[in-house]
Amino acid sequence: MDIRVLRPSDIPLIQHANIENLPENYFLKYYLYHALSWPQLSYVAVDVSRPAKSAYDYPKIVGYVLAKMEEEPTDGVQHGHITSLSVMRTHRRLGIAEKLMRQSQQAMVETFGAHYVSLHVRVSNAAAIHLYRDTLGFKTEKTEAKYYADGEDAYCMKLDLAPIREALLAEQLDEKDAKPKIEEGKGSEGVDEGEAVGDVGRDPEADSKKEDKTVKVKVGRGLGVGELVERDESKH
Amino acid sequence: MPQTLSTREANLFRTVIRHYEDKQYKRGLKAAEQILKKNPRHGDTMSMKALIMNSQGKTEEAFALAKEALTVDMKSHICWHVYGILYRQHKNFDEAIKAYKFALKLEPESQQIQRDLAVLQVQIRDYQGYVQSRFAMLKAKPHLRQNWTALAIAYQLEGSLEQAENILTTYEKSMTNVPLKTDQEHSEALLYKNTIIAERGDIKRALEHLESDCKNCLDRLAVMEMRARYLGQLNRKEEAAKAWRALLDRNPEHPEYYKGLIEALEIDEKDEAALKAIYDEYAAKYPRSDAAKRLPLNFLTGDSFKAAAKSYLTNMLDRGVPSVFANLKHLYSEVAKKEAILALAEEYLKEHKGSEQANGDSSKGVGAALYFLAQHYNYHLSRDLAKAMEYVEQAIELDPKNVDFHMTKARIFKHQGDTAKASETMDRARSLDTKDRYINSKAAKYQLRNNENEKALETMGLFTRAETVGGPLADLTDMQCMWFLTEDGEAWQRRGNTGLALKRFTTIHNIFDIWQEDQFDFHSFSLRKGQIRAYVDMIRWEDSIREHPFYFRAALDAVKLYLDMFEKQQASANGTNGTGEATNGEDAAEKKKAAKKARKEAQKAEREAAEKAAKQDPNKATAKKDEEPKKKDDDPNGLKLAATTDPLGDAMKFLTNILQFSPKNIEGQVAGFDVYIRRKKYLLALRCLNAAQALNPEHPRVKEQFAELQKAVESLDDAQSAKVKEVLKAKFSS
Ligand SMILES: CC(C)(COP(=O)(O)OP(=O)(O)OC[C@H]1O[C@@H](n2cnc3c(N)ncnc32)[C@H](O)[C@@H]1OP(=O)(O)O)[C@@H](O)C(=O)NCCC(=O)NCCS
Repeated sequence: MDIRVLRPSDIPLIQHANIENLPENYFLKYYLYHALSWPQLSYVAVDVSRPAKSAYDYPKIVGYVLAKMEEEPTDGVQHGHITSLSVMRTHRRLGIAEKLMRQSQQAMVETFGAHYVSLHVRVSNAAAIHLYRDTLGFKTEKTEAKYYADGEDAYCMKLDLAPIREALLAEQLDEKDAKPKIEEGKGSEGVDEGEAVGDVGRDPEADSKKEDKTVKVKVGRGLGVGELVERDESKH
Repeated sequence: MPQTLSTREANLFRTVIRHYEDKQYKRGLKAAEQILKKNPRHGDTMSMKALIMNSQGKTEEAFALAKEALTVDMKSHICWHVYGILYRQHKNFDEAIKAYKFALKLEPESQQIQRDLAVLQVQIRDYQGYVQSRFAMLKAKPHLRQNWTALAIAYQLEGSLEQAENILTTYEKSMTNVPLKTDQEHSEALLYKNTIIAERGDIKRALEHLESDCKNCLDRLAVMEMRARYLGQLNRKEEAAKAWRALLDRNPEHPEYYKGLIEALEIDEKDEAALKAIYDEYAAKYPRSDAAKRLPLNFLTGDSFKAAAKSYLTNMLDRGVPSVFANLKHLYSEVAKKEAILALAEEYLKEHKGSEQANGDSSKGVGAALYFLAQHYNYHLSRDLAKAMEYVEQAIELDPKNVDFHMTKARIFKHQGDTAKASETMDRARSLDTKDRYINSKAAKYQLRNNENEKALETMGLFTRAETVGGPLADLTDMQCMWFLTEDGEAWQRRGNTGLALKRFTTIHNIFDIWQEDQFDFHSFSLRKGQIRAYVDMIRWEDSIREHPFYFRAALDAVKLYLDMFEKQQASANGTNGTGEATNGEDAAEKKKAAKKARKEAQKAEREAAEKAAKQDPNKATAKKDEEPKKKDDDPNGLKLAATTDPLGDAMKFLTNILQFSPKNIEGQVAGFDVYIRRKKYLLALRCLNAAQALNPEHPRVKEQFAELQKAVESLDDAQSAKVKEVLKAKFSS
């Protein structure tokens, strides 16, 4: 097994693992959206022992975590979110899910200054709940009634990433006595290339009726002929 | 002369555009018509109307109108721009680029047109054009970092690494204040530049740049990995070892790090003990690490292998980890290891026999060992299906409700060739855990292998979304569930339903089109997000996206099916049994019938879709009213596909991609030959044959095909055949 960060070329087989394992599925573009927005946060487990079947063999993905940063956090606090996690049944209970999660959490803090990470899980999903609560230390924030398309409730869970933040801080203090603070920030977003990625998939959260869970991905290509014409007319 | 609008109408024109952008197509159309009533030949309005109509799915009318708009106002950049957009939406990128260029000539200052042009250029990989466009865009707005980065990307993709680096450096020098440490865009731009330096081959400078400029970059893992690799490449062993160790402390499950460390420590590949010591160190440091315990099994031999394997296996079986076999089977390519593992598992079983009651959890200990042995005997390198069945039955006796045990039993049936029992057993496994989609997927797959398409779809339907219009199949298609589409198509093919088989393979082909198209929005999105390295990776991957086995398998299936269809058509046309005319007539009648049926099916589907739409919640409908219409499928059962009179011609759309993207796959070359020789393209057939021969001269079809080709050209003496003969002759005499 090899646990490593996701590459775009892994995506078809990540999508495959997802639809094999979970009822919440997405178009390829939604994976691309993650891979190109927060490439540091998503990890895969690869079965490296399989002999290649052809000259065009792709690494066999047996587990993945697809993660993101909340783009407009309602509480104003930078935090990560687990979009999807699964491991093929043939490779479960080897500790893969735990390791994928830990790698992702580390990167959430280092790269994006996350304070905590959140996720949703079916209330009946004993394996996942054990992993999140007992192995990783997530706390149940609340229960959301009928969160899933089939009517099942979700636990909304959170993990405080302070331990990772503190360890990082200490490490940076060690490295240098100079200003080691992890600063808040969004990174600079330009204004020019102003299109959203369009219709990218089916996050159960985007589909949900509740306002605050809508994934803020604008739909449409914004052909922007408008802008062009405004200029044109101002010349007359 | 183009007509000019009054102020009122000019305002109205602006609302047309707004409605269009808000996807309020009906309103937009209404406003456009109002303008056109007074100014029937206002080109810009006609164009906008065309654009809206196109969004409503009226492609042909839209094109006609856009063309007409151009004839009334050749000098309008809007008309040209719209014309380009229409072409672009119908994927005629070359024409779209031409139109954009015209528009840009008329309106050189337009950022919008320039950007549309640039995006299209990178989409079709016209890198030279892209460099030009990005250059112009940089000149127009040099204060935006994105524009510098974009030009650097253009240069890099074009292959001008030096320019790419220079552009990035020029921007850096122009920066007046130091960016925040948390500035993603800055951090990524530095790392991006570092990858370019490394790509130029100057590892020493790359390392220096990394250590000076990228030290605080936010992607810490990337910095650490790049540094370790550079140090390794530069033979700075001691520092490299330290760097790899730091990485192992982050992630002891990544084999590359161990490899790097071992290289840096200059440990002899054959020094098992020294190698093992490294892994042991990490196994002790990280008790939950799997890799540190398992990787040594790859290189250890003899007794040290046995000892290590024993402790690994014992631990796993004690804990009842069901995936332990999956984790060890790769060792079976070495006979000694295969035998040792078998002995260890048997020994474990013997030692624990009788303790199953006390244990409580029957998936641990004895149960796990029985399960392991069942998988062992089911594996192709150690197969004894009778023994496998014995073990799995014992395991099931111990734990009758264990999903994994039943799943393996189903696999054993599959290997016995009993697809019916395999399907049945996998469905039993499914019924033991109806919440797990994995086992559900497997049950459906086994049903498909047993040609139970309808049942399989029902099974899949247990997890697809209930509300998707069109049912489970529509959902699976929307969600791009490649494995299902492929297996479903193959099952239909076995059942002789050519239409549905072709339909599925074509759907996969189309999904790859979507995947290619998916890049489009990211050309600008990624500049905004600043994750440039990921973007460049994506571009490179997309370049060869159709080499993916998902594509190859379906495409090869399709080509073979078309070949079959051709053979059948030939056979009936030749009238081998003397009823040539009649068969021909019958054939034509058949086709007519098929076409008629296709029409009817299409009408029915249309009716049903309309009904469904009408039944939708009227409240929700308002929001969705003007949405782009989902293209309705006018051939849901593939009847039109199956009714083709030119199967070989239709095969080409798959074959071209096979030969272009997977030329090293011999099955593709063999199929290529089969198509070309039937199309009497002997030179192309020869080319496939040569490629196949180079890949594997022993392939059974290669010799046959030589003979076939020779026979085909024997009696011909056109230029092509002469050339082929000449080559063949040279081949045989040598
Ligand atoms: C949930 C899932 C991702 C766990 O993956 P995994 O790689 O098997 O998990 P790990 O091996 O890392 O196990 C982590 C912990 O969970 C426990 N665990 C795993 N599967 C369990 C199960 N079926 N029942 C109880 N505990 C379980 C492990 O014992 C381990 O606990 P420990 O820390 O006390 O030793 C996997 O079962 C899965 O893919 N399920 C289907 C998809 C899914 O439900 N995804 C989660 C959606 S929110």
